[in-house]
Amino acid sequence: MITAPTAVTTAEVTEIDASARPPLLLLIGSALAWLVLSGALALVNLVQLHTPSFLADCSVLTFGRTQAMQDSAFIYGWAANAGLAVALWILARLGGSPLRSLNWAMAGAAFWNIALTVGLIGIATGDGTSHAWLHLPRYVLPAMLFAYAAIAVPGVLAWTGRDREMTYASQWYAVAALFLFPWLFSIAQTMLVFVPERGVLQALVAGWYVQGAWTLWLAPLALTAAYYLVPKVGGRVIPNYDFAALSFWTLLFVGAWTGGRHLIGGPIPAWVATIGGVSCALLLFHYIVVAVNLRDAFVTGGSIVLKFVRLGVAAYVFGGFLDAVTAIRGVALVTQFTFFSAAQSQLAISGGFSLTIFGAIYFLVPRITGQPWPSAGLIRVHYFCALLGTAGLVAGLAVAGWIQGHELNDPAVTFAVIGARTKPWLLLATAAQAVLLLGNVLLLAHLMRAVASKLLAPVVVVIFRQPPPMGAPAS
Amino acid sequence: MSARDPVDPRLEQAGASDDSLLTAHEKLLGRKPEDGAHYRLLPLALLFVFSGLIFYAGTYLNHFSGHYNAAIFDENAHPASTAAAVPKGDPMVIGKKNFELVCATCHQTTGLGVAGVYPPLAGSEWATGSEERVIRIVLYGLKGPIKVKGTDFNAAAMPAVGRVAGSGYNWSDDRIAAVLTYIRASFGNKASAITPEQVAAIHTKEGDRKEWSQDELLKIP
Repeated sequence: MITAPTAVTTAEVTEIDASARPPLLLLIGSALAWLVLSGALALVNLVQLHTPSFLADCSVLTFGRTQAMQDSAFIYGWAANAGLAVALWILARLGGSPLRSLNWAMAGAAFWNIALTVGLIGIATGDGTSHAWLHLPRYVLPAMLFAYAAIAVPGVLAWTGRDREMTYASQWYAVAALFLFPWLFSIAQTMLVFVPERGVLQALVAGWYVQGAWTLWLAPLALTAAYYLVPKVGGRVIPNYDFAALSFWTLLFVGAWTGGRHLIGGPIPAWVATIGGVSCALLLFHYIVVAVNLRDAFVTGGSIVLKFVRLGVAAYVFGGFLDAVTAIRGVALVTQFTFFSAAQSQLAISGGFSLTIFGAIYFLVPRITGQPWPSAGLIRVHYFCALLGTAGLVAGLAVAGWIQGHELNDPAVTFAVIGARTKPWLLLATAAQAVLLLGNVLLLAHLMRAVASKLLAPVVVVIFRQPPPMGAPAS
Repeated sequence: MSARDPVDPRLEQAGASDDSLLTAHEKLLGRKPEDGAHYRLLPLALLFVFSGLIFYAGTYLNHFSGHYNAAIFDENAHPASTAAAVPKGDPMVIGKKNFELVCATCHQTTGLGVAGVYPPLAGSEWATGSEERVIRIVLYGLKGPIKVKGTDFNAAAMPAVGRVAGSGYNWSDDRIAAVLTYIRASFGNKASAITPEQVAAIHTKEGDRKEWSQDELLKIP
């Protein structure tokens, strides 16, 4: 039963949201399913780190394969689906018209997830490749490229068909992510899988892809959400917004050059690693501007969406500083090729990316379903699970990596001693991963409950206030 | 719960409409960077930070670039010491290459020379004999008649090859040592190798001078 004036309805929940419901729910639902699967595999993987005999007799779940499946499910399952859903929705909102060609997105999402399922089965049965973040077997890679392009079609149309000439920061980052991933993914699969480069060049391309997929794809997707949600929920304009464009272009131009940081101390010409480290230092400008622009997330209290975004932005900026510090030769001597690198990677993807996107999901799902989340308690529990889990995982791996790095450099210490000394910290990381998994299972269950109650009571109840006009910056 | 917490987490209300969000930020980009005489400190600070980062990056790059050399894998190798880090080649290989580049024009790749015009090196008492004499010949050249293996060559005109005044070649002492080592161990010759230090010592002692003659050389042991 509709009880409130329709003018209010059209102000906050419009045709834009209602029409996008099926593809966005498909993307977000499958994203969360992959996130839970990835979390379960990560748990097995972490247990194997300190108890190598765990499931060692089951070839499908040996360390190498759980690692590969966990990464692939996280990047291509959770991050791709959820990131694209958020980017499409924000592009439609800021473009001012409903998404067009949604059948492309539906078909693309279906094919993407089918290909990924086949790919994970392929990894489990031994067809995976040996490249980090590109473990999926060769026979699903081209299909995934085309599926991605299909999902991105409505986003590109929302960008080209926008109402205004002028564009906003979220749109820059979203469009950059939509276009840069196919570039990275096609080059990487050609040069690593189909026509593999040999020797030094292979390591270079692999490092470039891993870093590019983060700085030029996942990070822009997270920033799309953060740049939209902070002023949208906080109601104040972005402070020092005129620097946002410079920060964006710094990320785009310098971002791809930071790949060399993965190879510091590796068997590659010295200048490649040095360029990587130097680019990490230059990228600090981007992180500083992001922190300055999004500082309202840290002063606006109360909103659970902004609490998630706040943690995400903090993890993103802190991760950027950590990358720059560990890219300095003397520090890399200890941290490189240890659990510390794994901690940095988790800080970026589980912290910077996931936490921001959780905030976006909590904001957008009530708008596309037209009804509130069923439970406030579940949201709060998920928030604390995500906070404690991510912090514990990153801290555990970082301390373990620091110990490991120091002791590996000391020829008097044996491997068995290093294993014993890192074990308590790896146990902490394992416990944290379990908490993280619990939180994500709750979010998946919560979403299923929301969708189920929507199907049972499909009446749109008008629940959104007319938002006030945008205020001045806080400072 | 909702009485203490004004924001219902089940349903986040927006703080601004999309339209006002876009309009507000559109205005910001069109604005002049300064409002009258009121300076804004933060943009200036960001500019300094960016400049500082670029300066740091440039210095670091210059320090650890390894000369952008694909063969240098150790970024600790300081550019100044890279010349020493490159391993030295085999003097026989370097000598052969340089011999065929320049010397073989007259003395032939066989080292036999041309009868009556260019003296042979194979079995020559000059090439395999006194190190002091042969180094001087290659460094500064030789002019006038010379007797090799019992045959007189009346108008020899061997040019200066070393890094000396009037030389058309300007070879380093290392290169001359390598060529001499090659000549003295090839074409059936079995004389001792010449080190770059020997060449350098004679080069320093003689300084700049004109070509040698047979008589002058015979006075040197």
